[in-house]
Amino acid sequence: MNMNKALLITLVFLMSVPTFAQKKSKEHLKKEASVKAYIWSEKTDFNSITIPSDLEDQSAVILYREVKYIYNRPHNSIEYTKIEHEQIKLLDQVAVKDFSEFKYQKTEHIQGLLNTFILGVKIIKPSGEEIEIDVDNEAIKEEDENKLAIPNLEKGDILDYYFYSNIIVSENDLYQFDDVEDIVGEHYPILDFKFSLETEKDFFVSLNTYNNAPELETYAALSKENKTRLYGFTMQNVASNDFPRWFYPLVELPAYKFQVLFARTRKHEKKADAFMPKEVTTIKKDINKEEIFNLYEDKFSPFGNLGDVERFLKGKEFTSEEEKVKEAFYFIRHKYFTNYVEAFVVDESKIMYPYGYYKNPIIFNSDEQFIKFFAAFLKDNKIDYEILIGTKRYNGPIKDLLIEDNVDFVLKILTEKPLYIEHFNQFSTVNQINPLLENSQAYALKVVDRKHIEDIQLTSLPASDHIINNTTESIAITLLEDFSGMQIKRVSATTGHNKIEAQKDRLNFYDYIYKDHEKYGTKSVLDKVKKEKDRLRYKKEYKSLIDKQKEKQLEALEKQTASEYELEMDDYTFNVLNNGRFGVEDPLEFEEAFSLKEDLIRKAGNNYILLIGKLIGGQAHIDEEHKQRDNNIYMSYPRSYTNNISLAIPEGYSVQGLEKLNKNVENQTGGFSSEAIVNNNVLTIKTNKYYKNYFEPAANWPDMVAFLDEAYLFYDDKILLKKN
Amino acid sequence: MKKIFLIILLLPFIGYCQKKIDPTPEDISKAKELRSLYDEEDIVLLESDNLITFSIEDNKVAVNNYTKEHLMNINSRSDIQKPVFYDGESEIQKFQFYYRNKKEARILSKDVSYTDNDLFHNDARVKYANVDFPTQGYTYFFESIKHTKDIKYFTSVYFTSEYPSVSRKIVVEIPDWLNVELFEKNFENFDIQKTEEQVGDKKIITYTTANIEAYYDENSSPGPSYIYPHVLLLAKDFTNKGEKQILFNETKDLYTWYKSLTEDISHESELLNEKVTALTKDATTDEEKIKNIYYWIQDNIRYIAFEDGIAGFKPDSAESVLTKRYGDCKGMANLAKEMLVIAGFDARLTWIGTKRIAYNYSTPSLAVDNHMICTLFKDGKKIFLDPTEKFSAFGEYAERIQGKQSMIENKDSFLLEEVPTSTSKKNKEYFLFNASIVNEEIEGQASRKYQGESRADFLYNFNNLESNKKQEALKDYLARNNRNIFISDIETSNLENREAEIDVKYVLKHNKAVSSFDNEMYIDLDFYKEFDNYTFEERQTNYNFAYKKDVITEMRLKIPESYTVSALPESFSVDNANFKISISLQKETDFIVYKKEFEIKNATITTSDFEAWNDAITKLNAIYNEQIILTKS
Repeated sequence: MNMNKALLITLVFLMSVPTFAQKKSKEHLKKEASVKAYIWSEKTDFNSITIPSDLEDQSAVILYREVKYIYNRPHNSIEYTKIEHEQIKLLDQVAVKDFSEFKYQKTEHIQGLLNTFILGVKIIKPSGEEIEIDVDNEAIKEEDENKLAIPNLEKGDILDYYFYSNIIVSENDLYQFDDVEDIVGEHYPILDFKFSLETEKDFFVSLNTYNNAPELETYAALSKENKTRLYGFTMQNVASNDFPRWFYPLVELPAYKFQVLFARTRKHEKKADAFMPKEVTTIKKDINKEEIFNLYEDKFSPFGNLGDVERFLKGKEFTSEEEKVKEAFYFIRHKYFTNYVEAFVVDESKIMYPYGYYKNPIIFNSDEQFIKFFAAFLKDNKIDYEILIGTKRYNGPIKDLLIEDNVDFVLKILTEKPLYIEHFNQFSTVNQINPLLENSQAYALKVVDRKHIEDIQLTSLPASDHIINNTTESIAITLLEDFSGMQIKRVSATTGHNKIEAQKDRLNFYDYIYKDHEKYGTKSVLDKVKKEKDRLRYKKEYKSLIDKQKEKQLEALEKQTASEYELEMDDYTFNVLNNGRFGVEDPLEFEEAFSLKEDLIRKAGNNYILLIGKLIGGQAHIDEEHKQRDNNIYMSYPRSYTNNISLAIPEGYSVQGLEKLNKNVENQTGGFSSEAIVNNNVLTIKTNKYYKNYFEPAANWPDMVAFLDEAYLFYDDKILLKKN
Repeated sequence: MKKIFLIILLLPFIGYCQKKIDPTPEDISKAKELRSLYDEEDIVLLESDNLITFSIEDNKVAVNNYTKEHLMNINSRSDIQKPVFYDGESEIQKFQFYYRNKKEARILSKDVSYTDNDLFHNDARVKYANVDFPTQGYTYFFESIKHTKDIKYFTSVYFTSEYPSVSRKIVVEIPDWLNVELFEKNFENFDIQKTEEQVGDKKIITYTTANIEAYYDENSSPGPSYIYPHVLLLAKDFTNKGEKQILFNETKDLYTWYKSLTEDISHESELLNEKVTALTKDATTDEEKIKNIYYWIQDNIRYIAFEDGIAGFKPDSAESVLTKRYGDCKGMANLAKEMLVIAGFDARLTWIGTKRIAYNYSTPSLAVDNHMICTLFKDGKKIFLDPTEKFSAFGEYAERIQGKQSMIENKDSFLLEEVPTSTSKKNKEYFLFNASIVNEEIEGQASRKYQGESRADFLYNFNNLESNKKQEALKDYLARNNRNIFISDIETSNLENREAEIDVKYVLKHNKAVSSFDNEMYIDLDFYKEFDNYTFEERQTNYNFAYKKDVITEMRLKIPESYTVSALPESFSVDNANFKISISLQKETDFIVYKKEFEIKNATITTSDFEAWNDAITKLNAIYNEQIILTKS
């Protein structure tokens, strides 16, 4: 979803005022009756449905599930309807409990749009008796939602229910509905599934099915006589899926995707952020590169006020174009982002109103805006570039692209060694694009004269490897003299994609914005306050805020580190050594110190057993049930985790059991190795676990399990400190 | 982040018109002083006053509770939500903050329904405001008025609150026309001063105290009525226009009101008759009939709670609950009663306060009870049935009602009867393991047995699993989610039978319990380690268990040939009024016999037990951390 749409939706919710009167309108009652008649007009012969013997042990089986979307134009409005209809046989008490309470939205006006929600429920007893629930009478109308406790529901019953939701949008020239992407399967197996999409003639539709879902059928096409069309598919015996670890359902399971758009005229059509069929009468099933070209060729003209950037660059010498681009990017990241963070904080905490101190601030509200701005910089500096159009790997390959919202843009700068720039946040660095885009195909919009997009070609997005996406933890252990516990000093360094999460988890804004202010000679907003009395007060309040945030941050960090080891710790300290914000290889480094009680030490006569393996932290465990795997393996990126553990061996003791700590399993998917040596009475253990690829076919799962198991076994490994 | 920036930049210049009043140097040093006293707290109430007054409205006694608080931030900065709760029987008439200089602080308040996860629907609401204290020593004054329309529902006022109070005052102004008794509870450990004076036609009772800690944030605590000092308001009667009207003067009045709510519930029901006939027609004994009814309700009626005005006190009709297949405790108790009466038994509705409530029926107040069950009169005995319990055997009672006084309907009068208590021995739980060492792994035949409440607990959890996930979940449970333990060949007794002992037999293999170094084997035999590190370091309140426990472990480890035992952890035992912990390790010919028992005799470890308990757990940890050593001869 792009930023403008997200913003619009947020504002709508902020300003919504429920105004629906308690008493239902005649129209609503009529609608309820017609929906009911429509859905339940055909009587199902439940006796003719038998549950296959292999599904009898399930908690519940969905006998029939239908999902239908309708887009039409009553009078001058635009109407959206979604109907979900399900008949589910409840085979155990847990299913009865799970389906015994419904919560659903209330019918109400939101921003002048009437949102209607209707629930219908019927229970079919094993005898065939059908009991319709009087939802209106039984439901409890609460402030935010309606609640219904389903009466008379028992094991063996079939619950036949529907949710009807309908929104009427008033007169509009262009209306883009939220796209829909869904898999067919559910938590329970489905015997019979039906999907359909009905629209009247003024709607532009992109729609297709994926991953062995049946081809779309045309149930009714538009014609002179026929003003509505109906497309869809049916599917039988859809298995449930328990969504294993490392899995992208939309890439592998039967699914459907669509986007519907209303545009009054050609002119408005052009404004849409969507891939649309040329003719309103056709259904668009896929997007070719020409269509992508057509949509984007005019959207990325270089544009922006480069005054600040020019002033920054003036007089600076760069050894290469690459260096210049990098420096400019980091300057922009600060000037138009981290430079505002403090303002946001003081405003949010009501310390002062800061925005008057920023004159005509430049703010990028979308990826497009940033790209246009950066393109303007590149154009000015006569540096060539391309705009790459990719999609995150969990959406499926770019050739299957249908939904515009699934598109991501990357700037490829054609310096001697190409540079890639994408995300724009406080941690973004040059050459670090979203890992979910990496190693996938994309389209390159070819820019001529650094201004005009004149061609499009298929290309590949770069990949990273497990060596750069690394976390290294150096852990120094000191045992207490009486073996009642240990003290640990840990220095962590992360690079590549491993760094991104770590930065979000470990750093707070004050850990980097002041370094940026210093580097770029910008002022803290508090220093811009002219009146001394006010400034001093704001600073005092700001300091109180920071003190409190640091207190909370330390608590959260301690909790996080403790959870990595699944142990309780004391005397925790944390210190950032390097914030890692200037390059993929620039590491985030921090040091921690803490003490652990006796949890890792076992007394064994005069000797001690040390549960040393636990110091590499909790390891992924594949239980027996999941050692068989049918689904392919989809991971975010190749990565590695290195541990350097050192232990000063207490005087009078020697270490036994080192041979068991030497392990090495390596194969095409990754590996785990560990090596333990004693040198100068210091035990050093080095472990390395790595995942080589983004993707593994299911056939490689045993290889992955091999090294995952080895690491898991290491986690439980011990050494003996034997008294000499 | 980007989105937020845009929104804030679009906003007009608003929100900073409030005049903040900096704390005085005295306030700051006061805050620092208090922070050293309450080092875990952010906010302290320098003063916290309640004034309770009464008036007659619609021939009912209405109550006004005026709250005045002086809040101080003792930490660097604090952002709090300040709430006042109310419901369908009350309203908030004032909710206002003031700055240090007593000028009104315009802080936006919100009024929303308050949802409780345990209740399907209730009428509780909360009015609250987000309040920020920008620096240490910053203060606000807060005033609220909560108006309760009927004194029946205004049962108590507590000295304790969410924040510590430096100075705490509760004033009750009792007019001459109202007869209300103030029942003081849990005053023993607090220095609470009480004064009484007559001013005009009002008696003014003032309680003052100082340095009251905030509510304890501890789990498994006794209910608040056990821990915190409070005053129960027992409204006896009032005189309006010369006419005296009885409120809850004595327990009988409480009963009469409760009973009146049950009078108009319909009894006649063909559907009910049919269901009772179906459930009892094949039963050959009375006991079988009763069980068929009681167990059917447990298994087929879902507990769904509604607390909305009078529905919080009035049972739904039996036919309605039967038809809907769900109800709250009152509806389920009433269904049990009606079905048993149709089946020819003497069964009656019974009000009870669960273990969470500290009072009994000697205090006539709605605060006394929170639950309803059914009492069966049979062969001169009274047997209690709680249909909200799952897998509870006939004649067995859940810990939460054991020993509690109940009020049983008896036409125009009532009977008071205590629910019998049982012992931890009734809830025995065994783990038996015959182990040998094979290839540095421990394996052998194991079994787990459950009785009483441990059985009900096991059955409830097991039967709450989806059918096709039960076996895997049972394995995980038996392995206690320890991934180095492998469970196979499971055989169980009937896992739907709530009366017989549960017996689960299986083969257990643990592949990390043995560590070999040179010619020695180090064995971590007890890999479950119940209660390890289970000490109560900073706890202020008793620790309550769900039920009385007696957990017995017996493991026999075969000593491998050519090995001798060179070290065994020492045995240890402690036995007192509330708990027993014992561990023994013995060598018996070719076996090491490990016996362990935890008995929580009264389902509680009291604060006065903590020292002994912590000492026992420390010793237990030492044994858990010590290895059995076998040396190759």
